[in-house]
Amino acid sequence: MPVLEPSAACAPRFQPGDFKSDLKPIWCPGCGDFGVVTALTRALSAIGRPPHEIAFVSGIGCSSRIPGYTTAYGFNTVHGRALPIAQGIKLANPDLLVLVASGDGDGFSIGGGHVAHVIRRNIDLTYIVMDNQIYGLTKGQLSPTSRRGRKTVTSSFGSLEDPVNPLLYVMGYGVSFVAQGTPADMAGLARLIEEGIRFPGFAFINVQSPCVTYGLEEQQLKAQKAKMQSLESIGHDPADRARATELAREYGSKLYTGVLYRNPTPPPTYGQGVTERQEALKSQAVPRQELLKCFLPGN
Amino acid sequence: MNQDLIIGIAGAGGDGVISAGESLITAAALEGYHGIMTKSFGSQIRGGEASCRLRLATQTVLNPNGPLDVAVALNWEDFRRFGNELPVEAATVVIYESATGVAPDKLPLEGVAPATVFSVPIAEMAQQNAGTDKAKNIVITGLLAGWFGIGRESMLAGIRKKFAKKGAAVVEGNVRAFQAGLDFAQSHPLKQDRRLASPRGGRDAKLLADGNDMCGAAALFAGCTFFSGYPITPSTEIMQFLDREIWKYGGTLMQAEDEIAGIGAAVGASFAGKKAMTATSGPGMSLKTEILGLASIAELPLVCVNVQRGGPSTGIPTKAEQSDLFQAAFSAHGDCLRPILAPTSVGDVFSTTVEAFNLAEYYQTPVIVLSDQEIAQRKETVEPIDTSKFQLIERRRPTEAELANYTRFKVTESGISPLSNPGMPGGNYLASGIEHNEVGRPTANGEMHARMNDKRFRKFNSLKNRRDLFVVDGDPEAPLGLVSWGSVAGVAREALRLAQAEGLRVKLLVPKLLYPVVEPVYQDFFASVRRGLFVEQSFQGQLYRLVRMYVDCPASVTTVAKSGSNPIQPAEVLERLRALQRSNGHQHLEPVAD
Repeated sequence: MPVLEPSAACAPRFQPGDFKSDLKPIWCPGCGDFGVVTALTRALSAIGRPPHEIAFVSGIGCSSRIPGYTTAYGFNTVHGRALPIAQGIKLANPDLLVLVASGDGDGFSIGGGHVAHVIRRNIDLTYIVMDNQIYGLTKGQLSPTSRRGRKTVTSSFGSLEDPVNPLLYVMGYGVSFVAQGTPADMAGLARLIEEGIRFPGFAFINVQSPCVTYGLEEQQLKAQKAKMQSLESIGHDPADRARATELAREYGSKLYTGVLYRNPTPPPTYGQGVTERQEALKSQAVPRQELLKCFLPGN
Repeated sequence: MNQDLIIGIAGAGGDGVISAGESLITAAALEGYHGIMTKSFGSQIRGGEASCRLRLATQTVLNPNGPLDVAVALNWEDFRRFGNELPVEAATVVIYESATGVAPDKLPLEGVAPATVFSVPIAEMAQQNAGTDKAKNIVITGLLAGWFGIGRESMLAGIRKKFAKKGAAVVEGNVRAFQAGLDFAQSHPLKQDRRLASPRGGRDAKLLADGNDMCGAAALFAGCTFFSGYPITPSTEIMQFLDREIWKYGGTLMQAEDEIAGIGAAVGASFAGKKAMTATSGPGMSLKTEILGLASIAELPLVCVNVQRGGPSTGIPTKAEQSDLFQAAFSAHGDCLRPILAPTSVGDVFSTTVEAFNLAEYYQTPVIVLSDQEIAQRKETVEPIDTSKFQLIERRRPTEAELANYTRFKVTESGISPLSNPGMPGGNYLASGIEHNEVGRPTANGEMHARMNDKRFRKFNSLKNRRDLFVVDGDPEAPLGLVSWGSVAGVAREALRLAQAEGLRVKLLVPKLLYPVVEPVYQDFFASVRRGLFVEQSFQGQLYRLVRMYVDCPASVTTVAKSGSNPIQPAEVLERLRALQRSNGHQHLEPVAD
């Protein structure tokens, strides 16, 4: 794999600032997403790949503005479709480091159907969902992770639905890497993103990124700081899938941070399969000018 | 002797009807004949009725339509289920299974009494010679080879090759079954010699392919290294072909979870610098349209094939229609333009698909290829294609100097800007569905939006000079004009020849570039035209209406427009032309009402 291993002997090739663009974010002051940019650029500095070897794909929503705030190749696509587009990029050029950012609406409502398939293909992407339990960009509508009873402009009398549990959702489809972080623990979040990037396969990181404008008091960074609990501190073993599933159920009531599950023997990635197949079959290629000979009758 | 022979064979699934047709057209192609074979099935997944139509000729076959010269019925219930797909006339030679118990003078055909009828113990001959009913198709090929002189030697060679793995006894049994068919034909000669004459262009073998396989091969030729799509009838064979081949050329294929992911991954691959394609049919195209809009504004090359079928919705998935032209032209939201190309034959699918990749790369745009079920799934002989004549175009990549101060969406005179891809140092930019300025930064500025729209439309100006994407045939000063596209163009071309043979002054325009509508091409064509017809397979006559959005067609130009699954016959187009000729000069024709 082209991902560089960290080396204590030499200084990082790139500083976090090398990954930050000079475009001014449209986010509200105090938005959790600023913290995601900071954590991400720290992680990328630790990884050491130059910005031009990184493709950063997003969908639509506040969160999805993030590629433009980095110096990587960015692709701000359409609502809910960041994952399929990112998969095409990674499969077309396996040498690229491909990051995907979404919000909870992008990732678990309009684009929720793609999650199962990227997981079962195990395409080597790092998927960061900035989960703020609200549609912020469109000014405060119900999101798939909003809790039951929540009043918003589209649920004036309270939501009649249970929220999606993003952690359980991906565990259910057999994801090999799932973590949860928050900008309230910047160093921890940077480490999780770095770990996700280094993981050989699809890695999902749910980020509890509060919305300062439409979010509830209990979701703000201050409340998160008081509430969050590192999985390490409770002695969780990330290889323990059954325990990880139990802990995932507590999404919405507890705020665990850290690696929830890391498959000790992850399945091969789709990309590995592609490379092996291309190697095995390339001797059967015919010269371009002779391609149509396959249509000679009786062949 | 015959110059042209139309054969229809029908029976139950498992009777080997399709396999008989394939053996015949393969043998014909090997011996230099031209041919088209279409298949038709009942809606059952297995079993049910099956039929094939085979049109073989000594020169190019323009379409598979027309009444049957030969009808073969393994049983009459199944034969009759195909209705007007297998029209029998008095002159049709009818061959049927005698085990049906039907008397030759009591055929269950309404309103026709064919003069030449053979009741043949097909199953019995198969059983006696090959020891199995399964050899019925072999007996049929023997009968047809005997009566109509099609590829006897090639057919025998084919039988030997096909059954080689099953051992000498099986090979010999099938050879005997074939010979039994031949012998039967020889001992029951036709009153008139109806054998096919020698092919006019010599006996060199033709290629034999269907449009979907040809599309896959053309994509590989054009350098496509990424395909993603979702199975949908009648386009799926494109993905199936590429799945067998693309890996050999360093390419990748992904069967997507849905139509949206199918086009999404292809757009991603294009962003990453690869030539990418997706393929679908009407309902899938509806799902893909949001991302077509994305590829248009992000200015990314992409080839999107729509193999049209009867619609709307599920419609008639197994039959051809030309009713997705409006959708192709106007599918996505916003002001944008995507070129649409339509192939007219299996051979033409090659050049059309290669052209689609070239246009996509050159103009940095999605290009829609409008194929249809008939071209996609019919087997057709194709003259060998000189692939060395095709030039392949690559996207305009930034130079070193341009990368020093990279401006992805630079507003150039041509409207075409340098396109980098991830991995290229200095080419970093933000591609986006949101409106952007020249360097790719998001903007809501009206002036910038207008400039970018102008750039994205202006870049297609040079496409309007591509007269080679239009074929004009016939008398340039003719007062009668035909316009037709896609698979139906072959019907119009045959009608043109028939009309010319009668002395009518007619010409034909076949646009392969359907959109943008190139106004001067139509204006030039209509300059001499007093009366005319758009010949197309859709209820509305979509090309007729699309062209009239841009061009003042003469008021007396109307349509022969039919819903899918109702073949347009060259004879009926000819009849309409005769009527137009008669009315020419002394009767004012009203344009059709909208």
